[in-house]
Amino acid sequence: MKFSELWRLSSTVYKEVSFQSIFSLRAGSALPQGGRRDIKQLVSSARVNTLISKLITTVFIGIFAFIVFLPVIIGDVNPVIPLEIALPGSVSAFLTVVLFLIVFMGLQVSTSFVSSKTVDVLNPLPLSKNDISRIVFLCFIRIFDIPLVAAGVIFLVVYFLVGGTILGGVISLVSIIVTEIFALTLTVLSARFFYSRVARAAGKSVWHTFLRLAFMLVWILPTFAAYFVVNFAREIVQFFAYLTQGFSSLSHVLVLVFPFSYGFLVSYTSFFHAADYATLGLSIAACVAYVGAAFYCLRWVTQTIREIGAAGVTKGVREAVKDTIIRPQIPWLGVIRKDLRVASRAPSFASLFLLPVVQTAVLAITFSSFNEVGLNAALGILIGISMITLLLPPTLLSIEGLASAYTRHLPLKKRTLITAKTLLTTVTYIFSLIVLSIVSLALGKKFSLILVFGIIHAFAVAAAIMLELTILMRKFWKEGFSVGNIYSRISTYILILIPGYIMAGVPMVCALVALFLASPFLLPTFLVAAVTEFVIMTAIVAYQK
Amino acid sequence: MEAVAVSVEGLVVSYGSFVAVENLSFTVKNGEIYGLLGPNGAGKTTTIKVLVGVLEPRSGKVEIYNTPLSDEVAAKSQIGYVPEEVVLLDSLTPREFLEFVASIRRLSKDTLNSKLERYISAFELKQYFDTPIAALSMGNKQKVAIVAALLHDPKLLILDEPLIGLDARSSKILKELVTFHAKKGGAVIFSTHIMEVAEKLCTKVGIINKGKIVGEGTVDDLRKLVRSAEGSLEDIFLKVTEQEAGMQDIIKALEEE
Repeated sequence: MKFSELWRLSSTVYKEVSFQSIFSLRAGSALPQGGRRDIKQLVSSARVNTLISKLITTVFIGIFAFIVFLPVIIGDVNPVIPLEIALPGSVSAFLTVVLFLIVFMGLQVSTSFVSSKTVDVLNPLPLSKNDISRIVFLCFIRIFDIPLVAAGVIFLVVYFLVGGTILGGVISLVSIIVTEIFALTLTVLSARFFYSRVARAAGKSVWHTFLRLAFMLVWILPTFAAYFVVNFAREIVQFFAYLTQGFSSLSHVLVLVFPFSYGFLVSYTSFFHAADYATLGLSIAACVAYVGAAFYCLRWVTQTIREIGAAGVTKGVREAVKDTIIRPQIPWLGVIRKDLRVASRAPSFASLFLLPVVQTAVLAITFSSFNEVGLNAALGILIGISMITLLLPPTLLSIEGLASAYTRHLPLKKRTLITAKTLLTTVTYIFSLIVLSIVSLALGKKFSLILVFGIIHAFAVAAAIMLELTILMRKFWKEGFSVGNIYSRISTYILILIPGYIMAGVPMVCALVALFLASPFLLPTFLVAAVTEFVIMTAIVAYQK
Repeated sequence: MEAVAVSVEGLVVSYGSFVAVENLSFTVKNGEIYGLLGPNGAGKTTTIKVLVGVLEPRSGKVEIYNTPLSDEVAAKSQIGYVPEEVVLLDSLTPREFLEFVASIRRLSKDTLNSKLERYISAFELKQYFDTPIAALSMGNKQKVAIVAALLHDPKLLILDEPLIGLDARSSKILKELVTFHAKKGGAVIFSTHIMEVAEKLCTKVGIINKGKIVGEGTVDDLRKLVRSAEGSLEDIFLKVTEQEAGMQDIIKALEEE
């Protein structure tokens, strides 16, 4: 079959994969009651969502390129560092960013691709196995098409803005292609491992639970990396620049390591006069080796994607089951246990539990530059953590949207759901505080203010979570908590978050007012405000049927 | 007089501007197995989804054992439901899924586990008990949904096409369980397209067409309705749903091709 025909067919499969992801995951497989109009809306929002996901990654790549190369273009890295010396660090930093961003995007999207059964539809059709495999592979490539092309274009544009050569441009193009192949390999490798060994593996052993938790960390790593790069782009560039110029012995080692090899080679092919022949030789050898590795990876990715498409990754291994005893809990605990189990097997939910922790770690790194963590810094940090934590309830509630066509018939009370989700989110917040305290302790900072105010603030955060959940219950109880419903309108989402943020911020405002009017009453005021909010919201939730 | 398990009066359900169920009324009493029949898209599953609280009606009155559906938790507590399309929490194993359902239903593990073991053994699910639901076949998913529906000894069973995907052995067991449930005084709403099953199993049948009940009663009552002394339920069904007319011509045309 002609490539154009295969490409056209892959478009149909790709549209179906996008739709399935939004229909099963986001609409809970329940037919929306708005009828055809709602289904059409789902179809179009599936297209828009995948497009937005691609565009966001592309925009991020563009921003990084700007942040990474601008100092090089305007000569602002360090007045004493010439361009040819700064360039290896910048190129290496950019390639690293592209690698992590594509992996990050891939891990999120692969959920729908790997678990999709739409390829089953192709099998009975009069298509050869080879053609089906090609369609599946092209469909996979479609997930990344815009960011893959954009990364190459952006890289070449900024490279020539820096004043690159034709040969350097070719090397740049090769380096970005190699990076993208590595990124796809990492994505497929982790997605396949996750689905075959973690999410879909049989058994209830402690080992499986441990594996799932460990993999949650693996899943969060690209998120952390992307977040880290956004916040510390400039520092990263400086660090990469420092690495590549700092020590000559280190640069001989680094030149063998991806992506530094390409950083050096691009720099040498742009500024021939700066070339150190030993390093140039090593970088050429390393780059050729990475091209070979990329070629092998591409073959592996192609083969694996075809296998996944044809047979899926679910092996459905049966294990000897010793007993059939089940241990029901009280309802809210049952909901929490279910949420944790679902989240540990679904990357899109797992990452959310770890996001506040990651945020805390980043804040901790930030405040390591402070000499002393005073009241303002402590309150500021707590506001930061609570704002991230308060993003959790809507997503946590959207777990109820999974299979809502079934679970909505269960006799579940609103207050049970609110209690479960509030506890889970508050524990996440407290866990963030613990991480922050440990980091503070390690950095030798005074953390008592953060801890004391943080523990009290947990009451206000719990109240804010209850408020958000009460609003969500009122709005979506009847139509279901699918992501498709909750996130259908950004205005709705903002209207849920704003009251939560206000509630979490009220004790801070009270404390600051007390600080100006009667400073000895600062802590009691903060405590009274937070506890009062908590008591009021608990009473409101208790009345929810 | 048997207690009324389900009372539906003037039920209207719509999807946007499309009215799926129009002014539907019927009652199901304790001890009855009520067969809900109808062509594809007639409104059976929509009606069932309203009864179990998954869909909101536009208007009408629905009561489960005299409890209005507005009293959600009380009404839902009395129902065991097997949906037509089994979409469970796929990432969980049957053990974890049943633990979740049992937790929500506040079931005590002391009384639960012996019952569960019987069901698991009857439906041959033990070997899949710790396998993620996503990895199970359609039939095994169906069995998990059936066990989940039976766990709390509900007074009312609502089964929407429960035999789809089940092997002969499991179908037989389920049909026996349904009969036993009704004999014990429980009520069953059983939706199916298999007329032979409905004819043998159901004590009363309601035929829905285009969102309206077009025939209701025992099979004998329906025979009287269509003025046929010996017709099978399939014949009656085709007549009351007006699908019989022209069908022979269509079959003949297909055969000629």
